[in-house]
Amino acid sequence: MSTEIADRDATIVAPEQASPDASRRGAPVHHRDFVEKVAGTLPYADDWGFPGMLHGVVVRAQLPSARIVAIDTSAARAVPGVRAVLTAADVPHNGIHDEASGLGVDAIQQPVLAADRVRYDGEPVAVIAAETPGAALEAAGLVDVEYEELPGVFDPEEALRDDAPAIHAGGNRYVDWRSSIGDVDAAMRSADLVVEETYRSQRVDHAYLEPEAGIGWIDSDGVLTLRVSTQVIEHAREIAEILKLPHSRVRVIASYMGGGFGGKEDMTIEPFLALLVWRTRRPVRMVWTRQESLLARYKRHPFTMRYRTGVRRDGTIVAQDVRIVGDAGAYPLLSSRVLFAATVNATGPYRVQDARVESTAVFTNNVPTSAFRGFGAMQVVFGYESQMDRIAELLGLDPAEVRRRNFVQRGDLRVTGEPIDTGVGVGECMERVLAELGPPSRPSGPHSRIGRGFACSMQPYGRSVFFADRASAWIGLEQDGTMVIRAGVTDLGAGQAASLANIAGEILGVTVDRTSVHIGDSALTPLTGGTFATRQLYMSGNAVLKVARSLRSKLEPVAAALLECEPAQLSFEDNRVSVGDRSLTMAEVAQAAEHQGVMPYVHETFEAETGEFDRETGRGRSFPDYTHGAHAAEVEVDESTGQVRVLKYVACHDVGRAISMQRVEGQIQGAVAQGVGYALSEDVELVDGVPSSTLFAEYLIPSSVDLPDIRAIGLELHPGKGPLGARGIGEPPIGPSAPALASAIQDAVGVRLQRLPMTPERLLDALQAARGASGSVAS
Amino acid sequence: MYSAPFEYVRASSWPEAVDLLEGGGEDARVIAGGQSLVPMMMLRLAAPSLLVDVSAAADRSVDLVDAELVLSALVRHADIEHSEVVRGSCPMLTEAVTHIGNVRVRHRGTIGGSLAHGEPTAELATVAVAEGATVTVLGPGGERAIPAGDLFVTHFTTSLEPGEVVTAVRFPVPGGRRGSSFQEIARRAGDFALVEAAATVALDEDDRCLSVRLVVGAVSDRPVDVSQAARPLIGERIGEDAVGEVARAVAAEIEVGPHTHAGREYRRRLVSVLAGRALLTAADRAAGAVHTDHGNGARA
Repeated sequence: MSTEIADRDATIVAPEQASPDASRRGAPVHHRDFVEKVAGTLPYADDWGFPGMLHGVVVRAQLPSARIVAIDTSAARAVPGVRAVLTAADVPHNGIHDEASGLGVDAIQQPVLAADRVRYDGEPVAVIAAETPGAALEAAGLVDVEYEELPGVFDPEEALRDDAPAIHAGGNRYVDWRSSIGDVDAAMRSADLVVEETYRSQRVDHAYLEPEAGIGWIDSDGVLTLRVSTQVIEHAREIAEILKLPHSRVRVIASYMGGGFGGKEDMTIEPFLALLVWRTRRPVRMVWTRQESLLARYKRHPFTMRYRTGVRRDGTIVAQDVRIVGDAGAYPLLSSRVLFAATVNATGPYRVQDARVESTAVFTNNVPTSAFRGFGAMQVVFGYESQMDRIAELLGLDPAEVRRRNFVQRGDLRVTGEPIDTGVGVGECMERVLAELGPPSRPSGPHSRIGRGFACSMQPYGRSVFFADRASAWIGLEQDGTMVIRAGVTDLGAGQAASLANIAGEILGVTVDRTSVHIGDSALTPLTGGTFATRQLYMSGNAVLKVARSLRSKLEPVAAALLECEPAQLSFEDNRVSVGDRSLTMAEVAQAAEHQGVMPYVHETFEAETGEFDRETGRGRSFPDYTHGAHAAEVEVDESTGQVRVLKYVACHDVGRAISMQRVEGQIQGAVAQGVGYALSEDVELVDGVPSSTLFAEYLIPSSVDLPDIRAIGLELHPGKGPLGARGIGEPPIGPSAPALASAIQDAVGVRLQRLPMTPERLLDALQAARGASGSVAS
Repeated sequence: MYSAPFEYVRASSWPEAVDLLEGGGEDARVIAGGQSLVPMMMLRLAAPSLLVDVSAAADRSVDLVDAELVLSALVRHADIEHSEVVRGSCPMLTEAVTHIGNVRVRHRGTIGGSLAHGEPTAELATVAVAEGATVTVLGPGGERAIPAGDLFVTHFTTSLEPGEVVTAVRFPVPGGRRGSSFQEIARRAGDFALVEAAATVALDEDDRCLSVRLVVGAVSDRPVDVSQAARPLIGERIGEDAVGEVARAVAAEIEVGPHTHAGREYRRRLVSVLAGRALLTAADRAAGAVHTDHGNGARA
């Protein structure tokens, strides 16, 4: 890491010692959870415990496609200390509702525990609770499931054939999306050049620091309560449905997470914990091992993307025709939404007067795929950016110039026919990263070649507008002038809670050290919706901003009367309300307000902009807004071994306005690390639905030694629709890494890889093929 | 995961360790740094009934005695990494240990443990064979010396007898114009190697090769001594063409096992590349051109 970062780490101080400037935007403000994480004192989900708690484990199928003939749990039950062995028959309502599209795609229920059919390797078939982890594990090994193996299908293209084994009654074609604008076929015929290429992306794991974990108990009020690592406390309702309980009898508390990345957006351990707690009436803890997480936790969709692009000789795109097939695995989960996002993002930040995008999510007997940072919109960056480079190459043009000629602007139409209604900063980001790479590095040896590349991207923030998204928050002042914020936000580790403190502080003048943010409790905090879709800053941030402004307007008349001025003259800063050199402490304001019967708290709901989308025509409003950016990289490639080292990396995004620039940079750096792994090494390899390894040591996320310093730049160019003009930054920086590195590799050694990950072996094969083709002798 | 239950005792001397091992039966295992054994226990790939901890059985001594570098079995990888004595007498050790795991692993793992474990990708095993080291072991029948080339049998299997424990490793320190090189490629910094190649070259006054050793690690079930294939280099000035021929011959002949992350043919190509780089670098170093590096595959 750079010295810049090291210096910052050294300045971490406890909140009570934070400088008076700490609430000003841009200054590093260390919310309580950051300090506790560094100190190692923050309790994560598996740190919580109860006296007399049981330990839960999931028994998983060991083959990808089978009929369950019988399950014998008698031996498992006989293990000393075992308190419950539950199978499908014990689940009151054995189905998870999952029509995720919001647009009426046929619903298919996923069983909590497989009843008669296993559809993927690792599918849960039973759950066990025992007095010790050892007894639970021993019993898990003794659950005797008799299977009748069934033919499976593991390739999405094969799954679409008529004779493929049907994974669900309705067949393997789960959902199709189609959006088009203009007349793409006529436009394609008018093109000077048509570029057709196919790009493939792979299945990857979230690989968060903290695996799936939590604890459940029945609280003194008789409410089934779960404290878990989850992105979505609203799952409490779904858990109640599974147990056939009133929604009000289930409460979910989200602990601070060691990463989510979408992997904790669907339920993980929640239904299993809930079943075991409800059956045993005892507290139960469950923590998944890395192996079971790698085996059975939902992954990112592998895509096959066929791009046909018609261009004029000057590089202007005249027609874009895209066909995407995504592997949904064995169950729907969020696949309909992921493919929707892929569809409306597939043409990238480039003007498309005549374009068509079609996509299909296909069931296979592979581990299911669902939400993962970037959510369909990141896979297509590899497609559209590789395509731009290919166009430049074939026309002999500068790839930056080809992009400049095609970038969208405010007012242009997307493929959905909707106009872009905020400013687009992608061009500025591109120019910035190209300038920032600096002078080229020198090769470290005779077989090494240096190369550079870049890529641009767009990524939506906020849920699709037809969901009519809402978020609520509550803010109150205590009598001593400290501030309490209540919001159902879950905090993945990216500072979601801290951002709310910053936003409220900016309006009300209360500093972070005098603010308590209560988050993530479905019973006690106003619901905000989960932390996903880069929506939390947009939604909860706007909710908190609305509430803070409302509370300030309640307090202003009170303070103005005491200070004998007009409300508009007041400033709220550094825990004081002042006019000129006269001021009140926030405590004095809060006390005066209550004394006058003006209660110093407010609850309000922010409603996102809404719109319609027609599933048949594929036209309408898609997402509230998009965040744009560009990345540039320099690599060194060893021509003899195919090894790629990333030497330099610059990533720049237009964030509209940074609520905290430090956290913007943190999001960018983390996403780039994840994006580089996606580009070069990560792959959950399945052989007929069975992973070739479930050892975390063999899942190739890059280590700090494999990564260069990542220069992260947040530009405040075009105001977005988040609070104070902010744009979401959680997902956007993961998209450009793969095409930027593909471009850099091509610059270094002359071959372009169109399949991820770009492993040394694949690169060496491609180099060998290229040398063979050009007739030169391989060394 | 949790390991299976086991007993644990500490030995305060090598003879005591041997006694405890003998008394522990066939499922007793020696533990020192625990960097390989403990993860295997946690994954239940190993389930010893008794662990005999030898960490306090002797000092972590590094001695240069009579043209021999003598390392206590308890010497840790980080000790080797930072030892000027090692760097001056057996630089291939210094070069190789930087590829082992990460800084935490190197501060706990020991040379004796690494050799006794019999993991075919272990860097120190490849170095021990390439440098012609001798392993001193103590057992119920007393002390004996095993040439490193005879120690490794196959995956996780050595020629150590039940009850025997490695107490020291001896590396010859020949004089003359001699150079060595250790080359490794892993998919990720600190991961198990895909391929290792270790070479030593001795030159005469006229830069002609007097002797050469070449060992390939991580591709078969144990380090493979392929020095025979390098014999055509003896008596010659070592150049790229001759080395290329040797390297290709080695790659064509060697048995390459399966790997989760790489195909056999790819690893065979890496054998050729790394064997060539190891030989050329060792020859350059022998000639005194220590600053010429023919490319080190390390990601680190």
